[in-house]
Amino acid sequence: LLMAFRDVNARRHIGLQQLSSLALAGRTLLGPVKSCKFIVDESTNQSTLICSAVRLIESLDLTSAAGQLLNETIQAQNKEFKTGMSTLLFLVGAWSNAIVECLQQNVPVSAIVSVMSEGLNSCCERVQCLQISIHDVNKELCSSSVRPNASKSKTCQIGCDSLPNPHLFLYFQKDISVPEVIPINSCSHQDDDCNFNKHLVSPLAGFGSVASIVKPAGDKSTSVISGNGVATSSCNKQKLTHSRYFSTPGKGLFSSQQGNFQGYLLGPSADSCEYCGLGHLAMALSHGNEPSMKLLQSIVAYQQERAEHSGSSQLNVAEIVTCCLLGLPESYSCASPGFVTLLSPEQVTVIKYFEDKLLRILLIDGDLTEQYRHLGFNRPCNVRTIVEHPSLQEGDLWLSSMLDNLINFEVNLVLVKGNVCENLRERCIANSILLVSSVTWNVLCAFGEVTGAQPVTYLTQLNASCVGSGAQVELWKACDGRATDLGELVPVRIKARGIPLLTAVLTTTVASKMQLIEDQFWTSVYRLHHALNDKKVFLGGGAVELLCLSHIQMLVEQPLQLASQNAVKEFHNPWLAASATEYKSVVLQALASGWKQYLLVVMCNSTKASSELEVATSVDHHLRKAADCGSPSAYILKEFGRGDLLRDGADPFADHREGLRVYDNVTAKTEAWRRALDLVLLVLQTDAEIVTGPRKNQLLNSHVSSEFMFL
Amino acid sequence: MSRLETKKPPLFITEPLTKDGVSQSLSLLSRILKSCYGPAGQLKQLHNGVGGCVCTTSQSSAILSRLPVSHPVLGVLMASVQNHISRFSDCGLFTAILCCSLIENFKSLNVTSCTVIKISKHLLSLCMDYLKSEACGCRVAVDFSSVETLLCLVRSVLRSKPACMLNKTEVDHLTTLILKAFLFTVPCHAESNAVLGKCVIVPVKGRRVVDSTVLPGLLIETPEIQLAKPLTVKRTCSNMIKMALFCVSMSGDSFNPEEGTITVHHRISLEMSELNQLLSVGKQLVNDEVGLVVCQKVIHPSLKRYLKENGVIAVDRAGLSLMEPLSRMTGSKPIASIHLLSPSCYGSLKDLCIESFASKNFVHLIPDDTVVCSFILCNRNETAWDELKRACETAEHVLQLTLKEPLALLGGGCTETHLASYIRHKSCSLSTSTFEDIDCSQTQYQLVADGFCRSLESVARSLNHDDGEILTDMVYGHCWFVPPGFPPVSSWSDLVSKCGCGINGNGENLKWRLLQGQFGSPVIQDCPKEPLVKVADFLTLDCYAAKCSGLQVALETANLILDLLYVIKDQN
Repeated sequence: LLMAFRDVNARRHIGLQQLSSLALAGRTLLGPVKSCKFIVDESTNQSTLICSAVRLIESLDLTSAAGQLLNETIQAQNKEFKTGMSTLLFLVGAWSNAIVECLQQNVPVSAIVSVMSEGLNSCCERVQCLQISIHDVNKELCSSSVRPNASKSKTCQIGCDSLPNPHLFLYFQKDISVPEVIPINSCSHQDDDCNFNKHLVSPLAGFGSVASIVKPAGDKSTSVISGNGVATSSCNKQKLTHSRYFSTPGKGLFSSQQGNFQGYLLGPSADSCEYCGLGHLAMALSHGNEPSMKLLQSIVAYQQERAEHSGSSQLNVAEIVTCCLLGLPESYSCASPGFVTLLSPEQVTVIKYFEDKLLRILLIDGDLTEQYRHLGFNRPCNVRTIVEHPSLQEGDLWLSSMLDNLINFEVNLVLVKGNVCENLRERCIANSILLVSSVTWNVLCAFGEVTGAQPVTYLTQLNASCVGSGAQVELWKACDGRATDLGELVPVRIKARGIPLLTAVLTTTVASKMQLIEDQFWTSVYRLHHALNDKKVFLGGGAVELLCLSHIQMLVEQPLQLASQNAVKEFHNPWLAASATEYKSVVLQALASGWKQYLLVVMCNSTKASSELEVATSVDHHLRKAADCGSPSAYILKEFGRGDLLRDGADPFADHREGLRVYDNVTAKTEAWRRALDLVLLVLQTDAEIVTGPRKNQLLNSHVSSEFMFL
Repeated sequence: MSRLETKKPPLFITEPLTKDGVSQSLSLLSRILKSCYGPAGQLKQLHNGVGGCVCTTSQSSAILSRLPVSHPVLGVLMASVQNHISRFSDCGLFTAILCCSLIENFKSLNVTSCTVIKISKHLLSLCMDYLKSEACGCRVAVDFSSVETLLCLVRSVLRSKPACMLNKTEVDHLTTLILKAFLFTVPCHAESNAVLGKCVIVPVKGRRVVDSTVLPGLLIETPEIQLAKPLTVKRTCSNMIKMALFCVSMSGDSFNPEEGTITVHHRISLEMSELNQLLSVGKQLVNDEVGLVVCQKVIHPSLKRYLKENGVIAVDRAGLSLMEPLSRMTGSKPIASIHLLSPSCYGSLKDLCIESFASKNFVHLIPDDTVVCSFILCNRNETAWDELKRACETAEHVLQLTLKEPLALLGGGCTETHLASYIRHKSCSLSTSTFEDIDCSQTQYQLVADGFCRSLESVARSLNHDDGEILTDMVYGHCWFVPPGFPPVSSWSDLVSKCGCGINGNGENLKWRLLQGQFGSPVIQDCPKEPLVKVADFLTLDCYAAKCSGLQVALETANLILDLLYVIKDQN
């Protein structure tokens, strides 16, 4: 073993530079109008479309220590909130850059750390005045929905605007002119550029259509290609943008199917004001992600209706599952009560036999194979069995005894958490017993609750009390009643009377988009879930960031106030306190630059502003006005209360958005800020890497060997 | 065919310390450790360079345990520091930095090493006598009737670990929790042989630090238990819950022999007979009115079901680390066999409920009289959580040591500079008989004493990581930090507000002077005074026992290394 030691700070902070270059790739993932990216695996030529920081980070080369920490941070945010990762990634980059600039001005590390973390704290406290309780939000949204100009007529606030936009046009021109061509597939569609552009700015061009390519981790030379489409091929683009499935359905397409969509569910229940509030809240939190939002609204409606009987009014995430159907147009996505899953055509034959019957159901929380033993059971390695009749096949014995068990207890349907022995599945089909494998624990519990079935681990454990009854199985039908023949697998719906479970059936015809759609759906669900948990939301659309900027401006102008406020009972820290005051304004400006960059990029990505300069001017203008009016928070509340602030005047379509609200999650947002800053400060305070392990020669021979010292 | 090889002769290295490589490695190690020291310390990323997990830390325990070194001299140093850490948890960096400094300073003296060792031992005894005396100016008594000093001790530990990424509110919150957890572990009815209880840390990663909390009793994670359903437990006539604790696996595989082979007829299923045995144990548990069964390992699902049907709550996979506190808390004796079940093994519980933290469900075992508690520790990411866990364990250990010896030393570099001024003063006023006893000249003594003091002061200097000045005052001998970017001026009082530990303000003229580096001239001064007021909020305090031991370990290790004449390496 050896230990190698590298000075990170040798010239400029390597770790911060790594963070900022990794974060650069995520710039276009910010805001309501995201540009998706292609992840192309050069070894298999397969590509996936990604639209979130989590998926981006998963695809990048992260062998550096800073990259590892970034990945860990993003995963933690994803695990906890399922939203805010792009914000986190962006701020990591922006703050890394800002801090590198501070370092170049010889600001001591300790001053950066203490001022930045105190500044963020102070801002988080300050923006609390922009929190609105869910109760008020519901009242507000319900009253506003009565107005004719409100959300119902204009379903999506920013993303699906149907008017042509010069900036969007320019943006694509830029992309297309990149000469480098890396085709993914041979092109089946050929079209001229003119047509291509026209298509893009047409109403059908949703946010999904702006794609740029990120190289996968396998690429050694550069792990990150930032910006938009360095490796984009025009040919590739044409093909993709021409596919009608590739763009998220715009307003026009969607509204025509809306009737179907809601009709299929449990009938309109929009009379209830509470539902209408939650539905609108879901929309205000969706940030323009219309299809997921619609789906979520119908789920909320269903759960709300059930809640009237049971009494709980929260969104229950554990009672939602997803089923991805590849091969149906996206407009077929819907929410179905019960559990929708894909089965093989052979199994479907059993279903025909089950139609309209109430089935006896069994739940198994392990695998249904002969070899399976529960977790923690160690297989005996030195037990020898003497077999007297070699002709007797052990496997058959097991199969028939299992089958006998099922038949004896008159079980029709078995939901299995793990895998199922294929032979047993076939034998069961012959006996009209349906085995469904890979069912999650949540689903088992939901069926257990309403059918009275109790999960067992082994079939040998079976007794009468384990078996539930009242389950029903039918073929899943699309909203237009169209037969859903997806080739190899058939969607089937399993339900039981009073089951709280809902399946969000997500459909698309583009395989590479499936994951994206599922991710977006869950993001919408969790945004609503967290909003209800927090019991409050932030005024969205940049209000919070703008107030932070204004607050920092105030802190910079009165630098002594912050210090004296806390000095009363502060834990003594002599060298931090003193040096911090001196560098306070520089460091606070660095903190502010993170949010400022964020606002600029969100606004530019949303294609409303023609240039960053224009947005910057608008932001400065409002900051000045906020400062002049004495109470910045009151100013922001008033202005944002009227609609989207940052584009008034300059924007001819401002009145269209009147009455449309955008809200953000409180905890998810402030936690994303805090995690981003924590990561940057952690890397900033690191002055050395210590590499342990037996790779001395490798390190000695590498091009960075001069940077290492050996103990 | 075996191959024989002639044995290589061992390698002799004479006077290892004079070799270039060793002093380079030593100074590199010293640089790494110095850069980690204190609240503004720089962090190190420990990783394997091929994408393994990254540990970001500035704690000696984490760094030293993962730093493989090639040279035996460094090995000796690190081994003795690690031994100190395992006994005291705190002051590891202090010990290591002081040891490196002592070696460096003593080596550069033109005095034979055996004289150096004798003199330094005398210096150490002067220090220890002073630290133990009532007149010691750098220690404070810890009053257990108020929490203030205890909070200061804990807060100082947390503040000195920047990789925990805590802000002020979070430090305050955790400080209170750590103290609360510690107080839970102190038995209410102290007898002559009272033993402290245990605080079990329950990891909840990904959550905010302020979500951390302390609960009396123990938590066992139970993924499959559903929150919604209320828990009904069988109780005995005295309204307690009878509990059985198994440390043997109940998964039904214990027929698996360690060695040898079992031959069975194919109609006989060992698994079935094992399960029947388990079920008969279950039957006895039900008959004995046991309400809760906890197993360290896995319980067979069939047995679990049987117990559930009979109203017994079964919790498995409790883990080895919980066994000792579980047994202590409930009075149950861990059952190591499923064949012998004695009713005397059962313990009892006051209550049982279900708690949920961050999408994890736990069974909460509430005892009647608690010396065992659970510390649900949250931090936002993995690396910061690991660092925080180490810091909390250190803080708890510091409190335990302080309970034994209710004293604390002033932190923030003040103890080091104060001790140095004391030794400087003391070494000038020694009688000639002392020098005769040690068999050295007064000049030699002065030289070694100066090296010793400079080493102590260099530890204080390593607290500063910017290029600001460090001062000491001529009255109390405390340590003062000047922010960077100010030119040296005569009136230091304008630039400093408080000393390192926070006990002295800049009110009176304290005659500051620069704390000199390697080659400063020795300063003759009066004996440093004790601060007038010794009680103040928000002091930086260090653990008395840990720092005293650190001082001794550092000096003895330095002496040992200075005394090394040969290194003999077996080359086979």
